[in-house]
Amino acid sequence: MTTGFWQQAKAVSGRDLLRERRRGDVLWITIPFGAIALLLVPLAVGTDAALLREIGPGMYWVIVMLFGVLVAVGKASSETLPQQDASLLLGLDPAAGFVGRSGAATLLLLIFEVVVGVVAVGLYDISIIGIPWLIFTLLTAAIGLALLGTLTGSIVNSTSAGTALVPLLVAPLSVPLLLGATQSYEGLRLGHSIVSWILLMVVVVLVVAIIGVLTARPLQET
Amino acid sequence: MTAQTRNRWWPWAAIVLSLATAFTLAMVSPADDVQGNLVRIMYLHVPAAWLAYLAFLVTFVGSVAYLLTRHFRWDRIAAASAEIGVYFTGLAIVLGMIWAKPTWGVWWTWDARLTLTAIMFFVYLGYLALRRTTDDPIARANRAAVLGVVGAIQIPLVHFSVVWWRTLHQPPSIIRPDGPAIQDSMMLVALIVGVLAFTVVYVSLMVKRIELIHLEDQRDAVERTADQPVAGEAVTAPDLGGPS
Repeated sequence: MTTGFWQQAKAVSGRDLLRERRRGDVLWITIPFGAIALLLVPLAVGTDAALLREIGPGMYWVIVMLFGVLVAVGKASSETLPQQDASLLLGLDPAAGFVGRSGAATLLLLIFEVVVGVVAVGLYDISIIGIPWLIFTLLTAAIGLALLGTLTGSIVNSTSAGTALVPLLVAPLSVPLLLGATQSYEGLRLGHSIVSWILLMVVVVLVVAIIGVLTARPLQET
Repeated sequence: MTAQTRNRWWPWAAIVLSLATAFTLAMVSPADDVQGNLVRIMYLHVPAAWLAYLAFLVTFVGSVAYLLTRHFRWDRIAAASAEIGVYFTGLAIVLGMIWAKPTWGVWWTWDARLTLTAIMFFVYLGYLALRRTTDDPIARANRAAVLGVVGAIQIPLVHFSVVWWRTLHQPPSIIRPDGPAIQDSMMLVALIVGVLAFTVVYVSLMVKRIELIHLEDQRDAVERTADQPVAGEAVTAPDLGGPS
């Protein structure tokens, strides 16, 4: 494999998406799981419409963070050691592999966000405001979670704990994204500036992307 | 003075300074006008929080240095510092809660500084858990180093949380552009002695823990290779024709 960086990333991305199309993990498992979680919350906290409208956006983002990240982690940690060796022998740039896997995970996360979002709007009667900013927030959160999940998946890949360790690693690290996303919506609702929250999310995305690209090789070596 | 002799002095220095802290906070520092004797918890809470920052910063530096040099010494430094950092973060949280109950009326409040500190605690708990998931020293060091770098994102978030958000937790009291906010010189002395003592305790624990990790690595290496032939499978003992 002697193609360029982006072509390699595109090939890895295509492989992950093809695997998802064949197995349907996100479509048939993660999305229904997220929807069920949204259905369970009112049973626990009460079915008062005003209360659900109030907590709905926050619950939506918590579910996106906790369940959505499984999408990225699943893709990153599904590679077996022989597959990794084969990629290495083919000359696949580990950084291109990271970018490719993150790209595929971003797309799947966006689908997850949209479908679960529609369910949340229906169940909690959430009002949709500031559509351009909302789209930007959804996209930034998807990229950030995909990068974080892919990086964490690579870290835990082929360890004895496997994916059991992932929630402990990802949940605390995704807090800046959760804060950025929830506070952006709150800012839009109250008519406040949300630039600082968007900036926080963008900075987190950039930092994780840089760390992921720079550490892809040492992680693949082991 | 050799490094080994010098290292032997750290625990003694830690004990002496810890006693000095106990004396200063109990006998020298006055009670606060508002908080009364509760303020004395701060002479332990603030140094514990400072050590958490210091320890995780050292983990970050050790992780970056390991990734650049691949020398296991840096991995041992990062691991030892993370262990100590988790302990002192837990201590800072518990001391803060003990102080908060009579002062704020609750053990816990959803304040940005408190919440982010708890999150930082869990990030490094994850770091320690990750280190236990593989016996391969290279894989362990590589993976832990990457997490040590990513986890450091939390440090500025926790530190600047009192500046970025309007929090119940008070803003920095000592390192401020317009000088320390603590007016009573005895209170300031007690706090500085506490910080110094905790820092020396940290160094003392680091020295010992790094030694221990080094010994554990050597033991693991022996255990891994104990049942393997010394020269590998390619070499067999010559048949000298003697009785079998």
